[in-house]
Amino acid sequence: MIKVEDLSVNYGAVRALREVDFDAPTGQITAVLGANGAGKTTLLRTISGLVKPQRGGVHLDETNLVGMATENIARLGVGHVPEGRGVIEELTVEENLRLGALSAKVNLADGLNEQYERFPILGERRKRHCSTLSGGERQMLAMARALIARPRVLLLDEPSLGLAPQVTAQLMRTIRELCETDDLTVLLVEQNAKSALRIAHRAVVLHLGSVVANGDAQGVADDDDLRRYYLGVVVS
Amino acid sequence: MNWWRGLPRQETTNSRVAAVAALTVLTLFVTFFLPPVADSELAGGAAIAIVILGLSWLTGWSGQISLGNSGFMAVGAYAAGIWAHHHAATPLVFTLLLALVAGGISGLVIAIPSTRLRGPYLAGMTLAFSAAVTPLAQNFTSVTGGEGGIFLNSLVTPKWFEHLFHGANASINANAQWTADLAVVVAGVMFFFMANLFHSRAGRSMRLVRDNDVAAELMGVHLARTRTMAFVVSAAFAGVGGALYSLLEASVRPETFPLTLSITLLTLMVLGGIGTLSGAVIGGIIYSFSANLVSHVNSLTGVNPTSNLGANMQGIIFGVLLILTMLFAPRGIVSLSSPLRRLWRARRPLSVTQEVQ
Amino acid sequence: MHNIFGGLATGVIYSLVALSLVIIWQSTHVLNFAQGAMAMFATYIGMTEIDRGIGYWWCVIISVVVGMALGGLTERVLIRPLYGKPEINPIVVMVGFLGVLEALAAAIWTSTTRNITEPFSQIYYQDHGHLVFLSAFIVFQILLAIGIMLLVAALFRFTKLGLQLRASALAPEVSRLLGIRVGRMLTIGWMLSAGVGAIAAVIVASGNFGLFPTDMDGIFVAGFIAAAVGGLESPIGAVAGGLLIGLAEQFILAYWSPNVAPLGGIIILVLALMIRPQGLFSKSVSRRV
Repeated sequence: MIKVEDLSVNYGAVRALREVDFDAPTGQITAVLGANGAGKTTLLRTISGLVKPQRGGVHLDETNLVGMATENIARLGVGHVPEGRGVIEELTVEENLRLGALSAKVNLADGLNEQYERFPILGERRKRHCSTLSGGERQMLAMARALIARPRVLLLDEPSLGLAPQVTAQLMRTIRELCETDDLTVLLVEQNAKSALRIAHRAVVLHLGSVVANGDAQGVADDDDLRRYYLGVVVS
Repeated sequence: MNWWRGLPRQETTNSRVAAVAALTVLTLFVTFFLPPVADSELAGGAAIAIVILGLSWLTGWSGQISLGNSGFMAVGAYAAGIWAHHHAATPLVFTLLLALVAGGISGLVIAIPSTRLRGPYLAGMTLAFSAAVTPLAQNFTSVTGGEGGIFLNSLVTPKWFEHLFHGANASINANAQWTADLAVVVAGVMFFFMANLFHSRAGRSMRLVRDNDVAAELMGVHLARTRTMAFVVSAAFAGVGGALYSLLEASVRPETFPLTLSITLLTLMVLGGIGTLSGAVIGGIIYSFSANLVSHVNSLTGVNPTSNLGANMQGIIFGVLLILTMLFAPRGIVSLSSPLRRLWRARRPLSVTQEVQ
Repeated sequence: MHNIFGGLATGVIYSLVALSLVIIWQSTHVLNFAQGAMAMFATYIGMTEIDRGIGYWWCVIISVVVGMALGGLTERVLIRPLYGKPEINPIVVMVGFLGVLEALAAAIWTSTTRNITEPFSQIYYQDHGHLVFLSAFIVFQILLAIGIMLLVAALFRFTKLGLQLRASALAPEVSRLLGIRVGRMLTIGWMLSAGVGAIAAVIVASGNFGLFPTDMDGIFVAGFIAAAVGGLESPIGAVAGGLLIGLAEQFILAYWSPNVAPLGGIIILVLALMIRPQGLFSKSVSRRV
């Protein structure tokens, strides 16, 4: 379980997060929604330790993550697929996956096989440089790379960005399956609220850095006012 | 990230040009009150200030790092020296002009491969140039006089000036004074030119190319030509400075322009502030004081100046200064004038990108 | 023939410097302009130990170890604070460090040349009336350079460490998100680079002319050009570049004029630029900070 308590982050004069407080229960998908600039990415980056908060705390079960180095947070089992996917282009598909497996104590061969089975296209392209991959393939690679480490927590920052609707739908199904089979705790940041809410158990809505809604996903999806004011017209 | 983003902008107006004139006159005035030794140091500082100014133009305004300006100094110095050696009666202006042209030509030659290079590669190319200068000067003995170098007649004090001085060492004092004043005037002239350059279309094009070369090209600015021009000007200034420097020393030798001189120039430029007239002045002043500074450090630490440590103290100090400046005050020592504010900013618990731990 | 050996001998030294630059580039995307000076300093320390009666090989080992320590220390103290700042800053800091190291070396150990005797015996043979010193040392040097080149290539291509080093340089933030200790990788990169560089200085010290504090300037420049021309990502290219420059210098010395020899590297650089007029690797340098 991830507990975010009273988290505040400033970039100079800009208050990116204001006393953000919510829980992401274990084994469930918590969607983090809101318009551009709402602070969603900042939230994930703070959990991962890339950003230091001014105030507040983040707990992974009993461990306080604030102040820990990013690489150590990752080694605790927090997998973060950043905005833009972070696929290292100069390396091959397989090298990216190997990187993912390095700091986790997993058997590389087994891990690779598992991911190639789950994402066969990666297996086909395994020796290719990542600059040759399409958007959808990169998303799969980024996910596989995070999953190969067998994380307990998965932070996903706008995975559907730039992907066609069918691909997005497939991606969301995959995330839901993973969550159920591997008992993952997932924090899913999305601008595409509709697809996120379809698979999420809970939802948190951010607006200009503050939490404006925090409850189960169905409730948030059904709330017309929320949709209109904070989630944009995309939802229908 | 562009390392020149933080550089100050120089708004030159006529008042700035007037300031150059005023500063020149003021410095001339000051020379009359200084003892001869100080006058020589001032003169050296003036010569170096000219070189720093040229380097500032290249690095600050066109964004091209150069470790090679000691090489351009050598070209100017040798050109002036070789000519003056055979034609002793040449007026100073002509000799310096020769140095300027020689420097400019060498700048052009070096620019041809260099303007296509960036960052470390450009630094490497210019490093190659300045590292080659001393061995080349040593090798081509017939032209450069080899190790021994070329002797130049020291600048001759005119009679009317000498008559201003009285006492036992009148002619020596007069000479020191005169050479210092000459150096200051030459520096003033060069600073005047640069002040105008900063503000010319050339200057604006260079800044444009520096900041956004794609946009510049779209606006019709010729990239290679602009960058080359920057090198030529910078080398021309270095040539004049180098020639002046050698005239002050009354000799040109291969050891006068080692690689470490390029490092010193870089240090002084960064300390003074890249890309400004005042920065070059500050750099020159620091240089003038460096001999004193070094001997002070020697006496403070109890080091014998003739020992190995003493002799190399200058190199150590300048190197350490450069490191410290880049780590703590890359905008020049002027930026340290509000230390409290900087400390406070550093304390702010804000980091968008975390420090590597 | 003796020209070729002579050229290869100097070329090996350049290749090793070039290799050290390849290592540091692949691991950190920073180029250490003080590499030559650091190697020189470490070797001087090693040479001082020889006075205590230790053998040649111990001197080599000490020089390399000191070099590695110096490299690691430099990264933590001088380079780490500049992380995230413009890429020109580490270059300038290293140039300053170069000045300090050379002046310090001259201050501590006198400004005269020092050298150490190579442990191999000399063999002579006649070639066109020239007496050729075919020292086993030169053969050793060449084999050493090739050996190190293969090790470096293998390191980056096949090993876990190599992959982490490359990732840390290419995408430090993403690498940290994957649990890679990027800071440690940077330090290791500097240590390995400095170790290889130190070997180059040791070879210079073992030569006929010995090692002088400013000797490594020209050598660094040649190594730099070799790495730039041969490819900062390619150990083989770096070694080829170094050997090429060494041979070019030797032939200029022998057949044109010894005075022009210092320009050997520059000539190669200019030629390379003419062949690739778009500049050398402008893509990889300007892209990332």
